[in-house]
Amino acid sequence: MTRKPTKETLPALPGSSLLKPGFLVPLLAFVVAFPWVFQRSTFQNTAILVLLYAFLGQAWNILGGYAGQVSFGHAVFFGIGAYTSSLLLINTGLNPWLGMLVGAAVAATVAAVIGIPAFRLTGHFFLMATVGFGEIIRTLFVNLPEVTRGAQGVFLPLLESSIKNLMFRQSNTGYYYIILVMTVALFAGTAWLERSKLGYYFKAIKEDWEAAEALGVNATRYKFIALAISAALTAMGGTFYAQWVLYLDPYSTMPLMVSVQIALVAILGGVGTVMGPFLGAALLLPVSEVIRVAVGGGGRGISPMIYGLAIILISVWQPNGIMGWVQARERRAPQDQTGGAEP
Amino acid sequence: MSGRYGLFVMVLLLAAALVATACAGQKAEEKKIVKVGVIYPMTGDLAAVGNDHKAIMELAQEIINGEYDLNIPLAKTRGLPNLKAELQLVFGDSQGKPEIARSEAERLINEEKVVALLGAYASSSTAPASQVAERYGIPFMTPESTRADLTERGFKWFFRNIPYDRMAVESQFKFLAAVRDKGINVGNLGLLYENSLWGQGAAQEQRGLAAKYGFTIVVEVAYPKEITDVTSEVLKLKAAKVDTVLSTNYINDAILFMKAFKEQDFTPGAIIGLEGGMVAKEFIPSLGKDAGYVLTTATWSPALIETKPIVGKINAMYKEKHGKNISAYQPHAFTAVMVMADAINRAGSTEPEAILKALKATDYPGESLIMPWKGVKYDEKGQNIYGDVPILQILDGKYEVVFPFELASKQLVWPAPPWSERK
Repeated sequence: MTRKPTKETLPALPGSSLLKPGFLVPLLAFVVAFPWVFQRSTFQNTAILVLLYAFLGQAWNILGGYAGQVSFGHAVFFGIGAYTSSLLLINTGLNPWLGMLVGAAVAATVAAVIGIPAFRLTGHFFLMATVGFGEIIRTLFVNLPEVTRGAQGVFLPLLESSIKNLMFRQSNTGYYYIILVMTVALFAGTAWLERSKLGYYFKAIKEDWEAAEALGVNATRYKFIALAISAALTAMGGTFYAQWVLYLDPYSTMPLMVSVQIALVAILGGVGTVMGPFLGAALLLPVSEVIRVAVGGGGRGISPMIYGLAIILISVWQPNGIMGWVQARERRAPQDQTGGAEP
Repeated sequence: MSGRYGLFVMVLLLAAALVATACAGQKAEEKKIVKVGVIYPMTGDLAAVGNDHKAIMELAQEIINGEYDLNIPLAKTRGLPNLKAELQLVFGDSQGKPEIARSEAERLINEEKVVALLGAYASSSTAPASQVAERYGIPFMTPESTRADLTERGFKWFFRNIPYDRMAVESQFKFLAAVRDKGINVGNLGLLYENSLWGQGAAQEQRGLAAKYGFTIVVEVAYPKEITDVTSEVLKLKAAKVDTVLSTNYINDAILFMKAFKEQDFTPGAIIGLEGGMVAKEFIPSLGKDAGYVLTTATWSPALIETKPIVGKINAMYKEKHGKNISAYQPHAFTAVMVMADAINRAGSTEPEAILKALKATDYPGESLIMPWKGVKYDEKGQNIYGDVPILQILDGKYEVVFPFELASKQLVWPAPPWSERK
């Protein structure tokens, strides 16, 4: 405890203006009141998707953003979480909340096994390996019908509506608040991680893992830790998805597109920042949803076109994600102050 | 910075304008309206399917709301006479994704206040969308999702028109029995199937039905679908003196086997496929005349345009509007609108329970369908029990309906002539 640096000794973290009460309190008030203000199911479904992807993006961010190991295979962990809890629920009647924890443990284990060969690779090659593992495991899910019900998919039984069953028949409010609590907890955890020893190890590995090793950080060990945490959290998101959509199959639950979407949310929001995944999700998913609902069935390809256009615009305009823009504003503001104070 | 920002705002405004124009065409209502929701993939990989379905369903809506001299319930009258209302289809886009299909089902029920839902092509979208309907207590009808266990979920509000895979196998045996009754020698059966979920499932059904209909299976040949050399498989069939081959293949293996049959001069009296490879659009072009005389099940065939008058009439109306023939699963989508509208009209109410009761009492006449079915009537699981699967035969390079005999577009050729005698 004594060695813990005090707040004053640390430099301000990038994007920290979004972690001040002046921003967080109104934001929290808004998200808590959301389902009461916006009662249309379209808004509520979109908000659930935003929070789910903010959650998944943050889980990805721990590995891809903080520890710098970019993965395009996270749909595997998402699928493992969804399948584990669902199959346990169907076959043994295990409560989905417990199933969520089992799924997280299974995903962390699978991640550790994948990590053994994958962490021998760095940069682009690591990324390619994660894509490969994603496809391998998805194919396994299709071809092991005895375990996963194969291409037929899994139907979840309709249980009584309750928080305990993680299932709500007619209202989305229950789902909304569950994913909200999960997301807020994860974001608070990430804010803590950013200031913790573990977080600094991750960042050291990201910046220069050889230098980190030279300073005594066991880089491989901390990469495994980052991967296991990231996989376990992604799996928890998978269980939530399964309980919400109530149907799973390998083609729709674990395609490469889900991996890309998870990474995209964090990358567009700003990698390695606490609020990045939330901003990314809050921008990306409504763009796609709102356009789809507004255009309805008549829009042909307009909705994905505008969606693609938005991604291109953000990438061109602000390559560091939305957080890059926030940080640029922060840098400008204190400069003005000090400039004025100088004699 | 500000220049870039300006550009960004401009593009956003442009996007908003696009959205606004797209919405503009969707308003205008005067009289009483009954809304039915339709969920299809309008964007994404399956967009072509969704938009084709939308086109033919709008034709169905037009026929219901207008006055047409067609032998179809609701065609001769305007709208739904028992409710004095017009039918309005409200389309939703699933993007082919389960979670979006789920959201769209909720949107259509909660915001558009639809009284029933139709959709959603891929079984992976139909499953979650119909779960929403079940939770809200709204009828859901799928025109074309075949995954067998969709009707095994014990749902109260779920209905399916299309025959599922098991019924296609049953159709093979009804056909064999009918052929036998005509005095043709069907002889010994051999099963040839790809060794995964689909082929294994089909073989299991075929074993059971062979016993039921009194046919003998003398050999079963299973093979992996990635197979590249089929010589030994063909030898097994030859050695067992198979007269009729029941063949469950994907496209590549189907082509391999046909070529090997010719090379080894193996001519069974009939080769009967189970959709899949035998109806894939590459099958006839790849094999040319060697595809001749092959029989296969198919849920719908373009040959019906010429053999069933009502199909011809609807096709002509569609062609006039869109410049092409109806195809693939479009007739299923059209049929679903007609059957659902008929049920709502009979219910005389938009109360979900009343519509459910009417759906359960459905007995839609076969002669009004653009399908080759006896009619539409649901069992207690919501499955259409009249969904017959016709048998097609490739004759002169075209798929022709040969069974049921009363819908035949060409006379069945059985046994197939030996390879040496084919021109």
